[in-house]
Amino acid sequence: MFDILGYLASPALLNGAALTIQIAAVSLVAGLALGLLLALMRLSGNSVLNSVAWSYIWLMRGTPLLLQLVFLFNVLPSVGIKLDPISTAIIGFALNEAAFAAEIIRGSILSVNRSQIIAAAALGMPSLLTLRRVILPQAMRPMLPGIGNQTISLIKSTSIASVIFVNELTFRAEQIVGHNFQFFKVFTAAALIYLAMTSAVAILQALLEKHFDYFRETAAATKQSHASEAAPAALTEAASTPNGAKKEELPALIRDVCSDLGEQSGQDFVVCRNVQKSYGNREILKGVDFTVKRGEVVVLMGPSGSGKSTLLRLINHLEAMDWGEILVDGRTVGYEQLPGGGWKPVRRLAQARAEARISMVFQQFNLFEHLTALENIVEAPVRVYGTPPKEAEAIARRLLASVGLAQHADHHPHRLSGGQQQRVAIARALAVSPRVMLFDEPTSALDPELVGDVLNVIRGLAEAGMTMIVVTHEVRFARDVADRIVFMDGGVIVEEGPPSAVLDNPQQERTKQFLRTVTQSDLQPA
Amino acid sequence: MRIFDLVTRLVKLVGSAAVCAVVIGVPAPDVQAQEKCDPAATPTKYPSLKGKTISMGQSPTSPPYAFIEPPSEEHTGFDTDMARELFKCLGLKFEIKAGKWSGLLPALIAGQTDIMWSNLFYTPPRAEQVDFVTYRINATSGLVQKGNPKKVSALEDVCGLRATGGLGTVEEAAFREQSKKCEAAGKKPVEILQHQENTAGIRLLATDRADVQLLDTGASGFMVKKMPNELEIAFTTKTQFKVAVGINKNLPELRQAIFDAMKILQANGTQKQLMEKYGIDPELQIPTEILTK
Repeated sequence: MFDILGYLASPALLNGAALTIQIAAVSLVAGLALGLLLALMRLSGNSVLNSVAWSYIWLMRGTPLLLQLVFLFNVLPSVGIKLDPISTAIIGFALNEAAFAAEIIRGSILSVNRSQIIAAAALGMPSLLTLRRVILPQAMRPMLPGIGNQTISLIKSTSIASVIFVNELTFRAEQIVGHNFQFFKVFTAAALIYLAMTSAVAILQALLEKHFDYFRETAAATKQSHASEAAPAALTEAASTPNGAKKEELPALIRDVCSDLGEQSGQDFVVCRNVQKSYGNREILKGVDFTVKRGEVVVLMGPSGSGKSTLLRLINHLEAMDWGEILVDGRTVGYEQLPGGGWKPVRRLAQARAEARISMVFQQFNLFEHLTALENIVEAPVRVYGTPPKEAEAIARRLLASVGLAQHADHHPHRLSGGQQQRVAIARALAVSPRVMLFDEPTSALDPELVGDVLNVIRGLAEAGMTMIVVTHEVRFARDVADRIVFMDGGVIVEEGPPSAVLDNPQQERTKQFLRTVTQSDLQPA
Repeated sequence: MRIFDLVTRLVKLVGSAAVCAVVIGVPAPDVQAQEKCDPAATPTKYPSLKGKTISMGQSPTSPPYAFIEPPSEEHTGFDTDMARELFKCLGLKFEIKAGKWSGLLPALIAGQTDIMWSNLFYTPPRAEQVDFVTYRINATSGLVQKGNPKKVSALEDVCGLRATGGLGTVEEAAFREQSKKCEAAGKKPVEILQHQENTAGIRLLATDRADVQLLDTGASGFMVKKMPNELEIAFTTKTQFKVAVGINKNLPELRQAIFDAMKILQANGTQKQLMEKYGIDPELQIPTEILTK
């Protein structure tokens, strides 16, 4: 026993361990960086980048690490590149590590819900910002177990570097054994040192997993959450904000936040001409002409599959149209005209989206899962529009208060009900001072008793004079707030006009039929 | 084919003759100078070595030739001490690059090291890739468990036994050869195991996973001295293998310098002294020669 401790403390083994750590640490960092790059190449739409990355991973995963090291050390000198043993080991392990890390990172990125990326795009976030602020933080948790495994196996596999003259821990142990034959004692000491190193990795992994676990309820937070659930919703949500700010009326606040609201009211603002879109052979939009005036509230209705949501996504260019023209305030959003009348997307699409200031609210809320309500709201103003963080936070708190969620500012989305999440999503959409807001079935995913709060918020927006296009099946709501109802079916606009005309006195058989079905289901819960 | 062979042999012969001529043809004062170390003459005699630090690949897990003696991390052993004496004689600095044996020859061929001095045998295929300066003949010993339970007294006795040799070594080859002989004689073939390091072979013996380990006689002597209660030497036979310093093919002047210095170390008794110091039979010394084919 004493002997083992003696070997544990021997400089020969400890120096070997230090070398092992040095090689493993540097090659891990470099390997992860290269792995991220490879993962992004694999995920990019570019087939050349994809196949280069695929081939690299195929080669590095498919050949023995030992041969890769020997190749780097002994074959590169013939082309004039002579690396010393430690550099060779670091480069060799990093290159190999990258191939494995790339697949772990790719898998973790793929596990992030696509709705998160769509939400970021709708906020005008460019892809690198989305990657850094939205995708990677959420990919960390699924990534960590795999990376932890890789790190531990990397530490242990450094032992094969002894063929290229790296005197790491195992080789040191073998040298001592070579002289004194104390296999058991020396190798046990070496094993304990490995165990200490890998334990450090395991602990670090556990800490990081805890840090990136957004669904973890801290004891204090759970208590608070139960308390607020116990109290009647109206009481807690109507209470004034924690920092004493009074709850403002929503319309006034919106007019304050969205400074250009109410200007040039009544002018054409969103203009769609002959818009066409297909998915494969399926025609979704067959030449839609559609205009929304500034300050107007237009409700899009129609059976599912009629092209309403697609039309919304074309307006803020979340998807590209095949043919036609869409102008917002007289300008295209991320399209450039091709000779002959077609359009193609421009390169800096995110910037174009941000400049257009078109906000979108989704059926499934699409809040960033890893950020609190407040952080969800300030993300785009700070990162995309460059608003000073303090200013953005002040506006965000006012918005949260006015939608009745002041005390939920620091809660993560999974702690909020669907209705609360949707109100946070509306506050997030408002925070970028939008000129037009698109609502894609904002209440369809909500329990019936939560619909009212959300619709009230949208009413407040209408009152403030916000230009809005709302896809919804809520007939009563549509009658209340819409200036105009547009009824779509089969990729075309069937009928449009004021609610009194389209809802109460529809001319087209398809409209009548649709209204019969939705009113029936609408009445049933009541 | 035969004619071609003949021609290559002739060319080789002429080549060696030329080398001999150079060696023999040098004037008398120089011959005398060769018998005494003259470090100061090295830069003029071997201009390409001026100021050069020789990098020497060595496997420090093979006592008594190269090993470390804990707790010191100092490299020691017969090969290591020979190198120290030889480069002192030449007045050249050298550094030991310690690595696994299996990586030493590839590194030498690639030029990552200048020489390899680690109980390396000369073989013609190896000589295609590196040059050799020989200094010793090899002998191998059959190591067995204490008490020699399988009653092995010669290589011929290993038929049907579990025998281990270093991966890719001449010992392993000897077992393969012997196995064929066993089969030809109607006996069971040798069950051949392979190990990476000598100590790993010893472990096979100690844990009764192998019956015989064929190992260089010097190494065997060292092992038995260390583990007298577990091991004993069953037999020792001289082989035809010449042990040599391996030198990168692009360094002919270094090869010459090592050869010249080796002659001095043999003439003044340094080599035999060191062989005795490390328990290697001094009778195994052979006159040094350069082998490049």
